[in-house]
Amino acid sequence: MLALRPVQLSDLTQLQQLARDSLVGVTSLPDDTERLRQKILASCASFASDVKSQGPENYFFVLEDLAGQRLLGCSEVLATAGFNEPFYSLRNRPFTSESRELNIHHGVPALSLCQDLSAHTLLRGFHINTELERTPSSEMLSRARLMFIAAHPQRFSDAVITEIVGYSSDTGESPFWDALGKHFFDLPYVEAERLCGLQNRSFLAELMPHYPIYVPMLPQSAQACIGRIHPDGQEAFDILEREGFETNSYIDLFDGGPTLFARTPSIRSIAQTRTAVARLSSHSGGKTPYLLSNDSLENYRAIVAELDWSADEPVMLDATQLDALQLDNGGPVRLIAL
Amino acid sequence: MIVRPVQMTDLPALLALARSAGPGFTSLPANEERLTLRVRWAQRTFAGQVERADADYLFVLEDDDQQVIGVSALAGAVGLREPWYNYRVGLTVNTSADLGIRRQIPTLFLNNEMTGQSEICSLFLRPDQRQGHNGRLLSVARLLFVAEFPHLFGEKLIAELRGSADEHGCSPFWDSLGRHFFKMDFSHADHLSGLGNKSFIAELMPRQPLYTCLLTEQAQAVIGKAHQNAEPARRILCNEGFAHKGYIDIFDGGPVIEAQVSKIRAVRNSQSLDLMVGTPDDNAPLWLIHNQRLENCRITAARARLVGNSLLVDRLTAKRLQLQAGSSVRAVPLLKQQQQAVAA
Repeated sequence: MLALRPVQLSDLTQLQQLARDSLVGVTSLPDDTERLRQKILASCASFASDVKSQGPENYFFVLEDLAGQRLLGCSEVLATAGFNEPFYSLRNRPFTSESRELNIHHGVPALSLCQDLSAHTLLRGFHINTELERTPSSEMLSRARLMFIAAHPQRFSDAVITEIVGYSSDTGESPFWDALGKHFFDLPYVEAERLCGLQNRSFLAELMPHYPIYVPMLPQSAQACIGRIHPDGQEAFDILEREGFETNSYIDLFDGGPTLFARTPSIRSIAQTRTAVARLSSHSGGKTPYLLSNDSLENYRAIVAELDWSADEPVMLDATQLDALQLDNGGPVRLIAL
Repeated sequence: MIVRPVQMTDLPALLALARSAGPGFTSLPANEERLTLRVRWAQRTFAGQVERADADYLFVLEDDDQQVIGVSALAGAVGLREPWYNYRVGLTVNTSADLGIRRQIPTLFLNNEMTGQSEICSLFLRPDQRQGHNGRLLSVARLLFVAEFPHLFGEKLIAELRGSADEHGCSPFWDSLGRHFFKMDFSHADHLSGLGNKSFIAELMPRQPLYTCLLTEQAQAVIGKAHQNAEPARRILCNEGFAHKGYIDIFDGGPVIEAQVSKIRAVRNSQSLDLMVGTPDDNAPLWLIHNQRLENCRITAARARLVGNSLLVDRLTAKRLQLQAGSSVRAVPLLKQQQQAVAA
């Protein structure tokens, strides 16, 4: 059985293996022991802290196979983007050229460096073992974060965003980067992403173009990357799109990948989530897959189970499931159909 | 050959010149109505009836058979009636000490810094007359005119040289930049510009600086490069002390060359002399000579000898200048090299 739980320090070795396998563009997962150790400690502190209003907390989850205690994926929620270090995006909005005398009026799309998405809650660091892609487990890995937000709304913003990894080739070439970032950073794309994961992101501010970039001036290959998703980022995108997230006019400044945005209360796994009483039953089981979680912090757990459940009734779970959720018979369980 | 203010009777000749210059020469359109307006305005300018902001000193080059073979002009000031735009090629430096990165990125800054300066412009010489010192006379005569009447002009003279273009008249600079904001081709934009819509067009351009590294390589290569046809004009002016100091045309990226009036050779080295009529020897140097008149301005180039405080010229030269012996003239050696000979 697979369960999702907060990361702990003993996960370090396995986590680094996951980081090694993750997409280049997932910069929140650096393949660096010390950096990962810091991330784990920061996450433990975040779960433990008594938060009255959202701050710098980062909640780091892992997907574990309970049988072999093997980690198969991870995901994160940063309570506040831009809280500790600036959160940059490129805003894609038209610059309006207008002349009444010449009867000309048109918009030229322009990319401007901004920190508009600061203060939003950020989903990031989504990575799953390839065998589990497009399974209920990958769905859980992404959406259990939203269930957690539903259980602890005071810890998060009223809007949630995520950046989907943009297009790059199998050989690690990003046409968007080559046309834009490379001029300013003088680094190959892969190296820039790696530094981004390792370093304080203030180097971005020092090197990024502060004047607008007019889209028609970029080569076609780079224009085509604006809002384009890396094939391996498609699932992360699809899951959140079904949750009600939408693309907006912001893109990633390295690879041009899209940003997804949703108002927190309208996210499906938050709006439609229900709480019920969990009951130990030998007649558990059913036909509909559900995502279930407890409402704890440090002992937060989520699993997928097939149930026959109707609203206002107790949720029948077997002992293994209750145990995986760290719930006692009669405890509150949160659930939503997958 | 003389350079003199344009007259109404020059109109047919001007039209012929405008036609042979072609559509690229936007400041002299082959349009009778507009040329008539321009000539009338130039006459009022020479008569001292217009403000500096509107002054348009249009000269013609006329041979001894009273044939007009070229034109050139001086604008009293640019940018005082409507904004005058240029790009300045500046620099953005990107550094990160941590990463050991240091990038220098030439950046174009839109500006109105030439506002109030005077412009030399509209020079065209009939192709079959591009010989001897005709081009130099037509161009440098304007500088001697400024030397005589500095109060009518700004502190600096500027000239926008036509930018580099391919054989079809397409400008790589325009194609990489302006085109995206106007959605029209260069010749159309250039045409509108000639109709006096230049500032309207400029207002369609973005105000923020532009990184040149995002232009096409072809466009980057022509920043500040004059069209090959503008090369002779550039050489003449640079010999007079004009230099490119980083300003370029916002449409074709051609260089704006500039000079402080007081530092221009033909201004600084010109002197007021008494005219002496006689027979200068055949080895006498060529001088550029102005009769010091405004409305009846006559400027010519002729062999002359400096004798004390007088300039010895032949009778024909005095006639061309509409002067008698004893009149006062402003003169400067036509060529820089002869300047040294005269001084020695």
